[in-house]
Amino acid sequence: MKKLFAALLIGILAQAAPASARDLNVVTSFTVLADMVRQVGGDHVHVRSLIGPNGDPHVYEPTPQDGNALAKADLVFVSGLGLEGWMDRLIKASGYKGTVVVASKGVATLSMREEGKTITDPHAWNSAANGVIYARNIAFALAKADPQRATDYKIRGERYMQQLQALDSWAHKMVNAIPAYKRKVISSHDAFGYLGAGYGIEFRAPVGFSTESEASAADVARLVDQIKRENIRAVFLENSNDPRMIRQIASETGAVLGGTLYAEALSAPGGPAPDYATMFRHNIELLVKGMRGN
Amino acid sequence: MTPIPAPETGIEPMTLWHALAGPFIEYPFMRRALVACLALAIGSGPIGVLLLLRRMSLVGDAMSHAVLPGAAIGFLIGGLSLWGMTIGGFVAGLAVALLAGIVSRHTSLREDASFAGFYLASLALGVLLVSTHGSNIDLLHILFGTILAVDDSALFLVGGVASVSSLILLAIYRPLILECFDPGYLRSVSGRGSLYHLIFLVLVVLNLVASFQALGTLMAVGLMMLPAASARFWARQVGSMMLTAIVIALLSGFIGLLGSYRFALPSGPAIVLTGSIFYVLSILTGRRGGVLTRLLATRHLTG
Amino acid sequence: MISTPVISLENLTVTYDRHPAVHHVRGCFQAGSLTAIVGPNGAGKSTLMKAIVGLLAPAGGGIRYAGIDRRRDVAYLPQQAEIDRSFPITVADTVVTGCWQEIGAFGRVTSAQWRRVAEALSAVGLDGFGRRLIGTLSAGQFQRALFARLLLQKASVILLDEPFNAIDARTTADLLALVQRWHGEEKTIIAVLHDFDQVRACFPQTLLLARELIDWGPTEDVLIPANLLMMRQMAERWADDADTCSRNRD
Repeated sequence: MKKLFAALLIGILAQAAPASARDLNVVTSFTVLADMVRQVGGDHVHVRSLIGPNGDPHVYEPTPQDGNALAKADLVFVSGLGLEGWMDRLIKASGYKGTVVVASKGVATLSMREEGKTITDPHAWNSAANGVIYARNIAFALAKADPQRATDYKIRGERYMQQLQALDSWAHKMVNAIPAYKRKVISSHDAFGYLGAGYGIEFRAPVGFSTESEASAADVARLVDQIKRENIRAVFLENSNDPRMIRQIASETGAVLGGTLYAEALSAPGGPAPDYATMFRHNIELLVKGMRGN
Repeated sequence: MTPIPAPETGIEPMTLWHALAGPFIEYPFMRRALVACLALAIGSGPIGVLLLLRRMSLVGDAMSHAVLPGAAIGFLIGGLSLWGMTIGGFVAGLAVALLAGIVSRHTSLREDASFAGFYLASLALGVLLVSTHGSNIDLLHILFGTILAVDDSALFLVGGVASVSSLILLAIYRPLILECFDPGYLRSVSGRGSLYHLIFLVLVVLNLVASFQALGTLMAVGLMMLPAASARFWARQVGSMMLTAIVIALLSGFIGLLGSYRFALPSGPAIVLTGSIFYVLSILTGRRGGVLTRLLATRHLTG
Repeated sequence: MISTPVISLENLTVTYDRHPAVHHVRGCFQAGSLTAIVGPNGAGKSTLMKAIVGLLAPAGGGIRYAGIDRRRDVAYLPQQAEIDRSFPITVADTVVTGCWQEIGAFGRVTSAQWRRVAEALSAVGLDGFGRRLIGTLSAGQFQRALFARLLLQKASVILLDEPFNAIDARTTADLLALVQRWHGEEKTIIAVLHDFDQVRACFPQTLLLARELIDWGPTEDVLIPANLLMMRQMAERWADDADTCSRNRD
């Protein structure tokens, strides 16, 4: 009887002892978020992004493998603010019961117009200042899910936030060097609301030029007139849209094609925007160059 | 987003000339769009008439789906290269058209049935390829252009195709017409009846794919078939039907573009709707067989 | 008059799906002859005609053409069904395609040729019909137009497949007169017909066909009761259980 009691006690104590730390399986909605989680998480966090490089996070058709990955995940990150409308159904279908972390919690939101309605602009990450908030939320969530490595995550998180702060300051410096009246660009996608507001750049998105609807000649004429009148010098492509309309407008107005901005997806690893920090730097550099009018 | 003001109308008074020609004089993109319409009218108008007379009117729409595997393979090989995908689309469309033509010639299956079979097979293949290899980029959306975004290379494409196609059509006009309404006779006097039919199919695919790429499917098919259908109510003979179709297509383009400019309507639909209005007007008031024309024709001749 | 064979049928067999529609027929059409092909329904008359024109390939035996080129010198008028009469084309444009052998696919039509079109239309009683659309013609008028096209073809051999089906009596009489004129010009004419009185009155030669050749020669010798009896006994249906024909080496 004593032996049995001892065995039981040892068994209970064994359960209470710290288990050997297992790696964390994390699933994020899209590549930008995946990269940020990787930066903060380090080697012991395995991150899978549902949407691949150059994809469109607004519309996504999940595959059965996605459901599987979700079921096995320890933690799931979304950006939130209405970006991943398709995520709820997928999570429910996969049977994942854990926490869904909204990385954009605490961001001061802006609104935008889409298809005639005013909604919350979900593209918060395009401003480095918000990136800092994302990083903080990510570090906190990882620490909570994996308490043993909490210190690691805190340190890495701090480091990453500092890097993003530095980027934020740098961006301010770069943009402020440009005279205020020149700080206007045309971009085919209005995913840069936060970037524009954060650094004082005015983004004109051509009205009606979305992936679904077709533009009218009046819209194009208006835009051409305004570019000419306000001397907007740079026009930017987005990496998942038909570039021909934008090229047409650029050639007609003499504006320069400023290059491709990355708004909603990282590029492939060898490309110009393989991680979030580089993506932000790339965008700012192109924008500044375009606005300067070199 | 700050609101964008209305287009400038200049300081001249709104004369008729200014109202009609102003936008085209002022904006290069409007001029290019109009020239693209002209090319489309000349290239696709006559082809549309022949398709109509041969009871192949739905080929245009089917072809917009049939090009998918070709565009997918072009994308897999060359990435988002417009020319790669266009050439791929052309090859796929050609394969479907030629196979359908050959099968309808040598078996008991009629043209429309054999075409339906092959284009569906092609579409399924295309969806398969895209689902297993493509990213979630909408390939066809990239491939199919819009008339307001016609750049120099797209203009060159439609213009070039229209020129070549018209010249070939003029050259083989007689045997092609004969093949349309009396293939038996053509077969007995010339060994090459099938050849002219196949050349015609090549021209159909050429015009459609070039128009898809430059102008999008709605305009490509709309301005191929609607003017042809309208022309039926005005022209007596096949030759004048073709000329009438060209004129109606060009007018639809011009009026549609103006409407798109003045009333901020999306351009492609505006043009095709103008074509549809012409069509309905032709059905009602056309000189040959228009409904109202027939109802109102009370006075008959002495002999 | 020395008669020379212009088209010789040499043990000719033509099949549909291995069933013989024309079965081991031999004989020859003389140059300048006026021959009627008669027989019951399904006797293979149209099939024989199509084989002579070259639209069907023989399954056994062959056809020899002496001194003529099958494509240039043989004109063929099929039964009406194959032409799309709703096509918006004028009578003149249809008839002028008879000049194909001269102008080919790409040649220009000369004014001399347009004059011949007008003359041909006159000859068939369609004066002034040149500008009419073919869809506006009656059956008889359209048949006349097709005969006009034949006139332009300048062929030395003319094949007519049931040319007077569902045609009014006056047109039939006029076209028969045209046939007689051709015969006078020493053209070789072969026509598939149903009306025995017509045959007896206008066609000196007759080929009596009931898949196999029953008789071929001068009409008064061929259209005799014994032959007609044999003709009626031919079964219209193909035998589902027929064996392979062993007469190939006749």
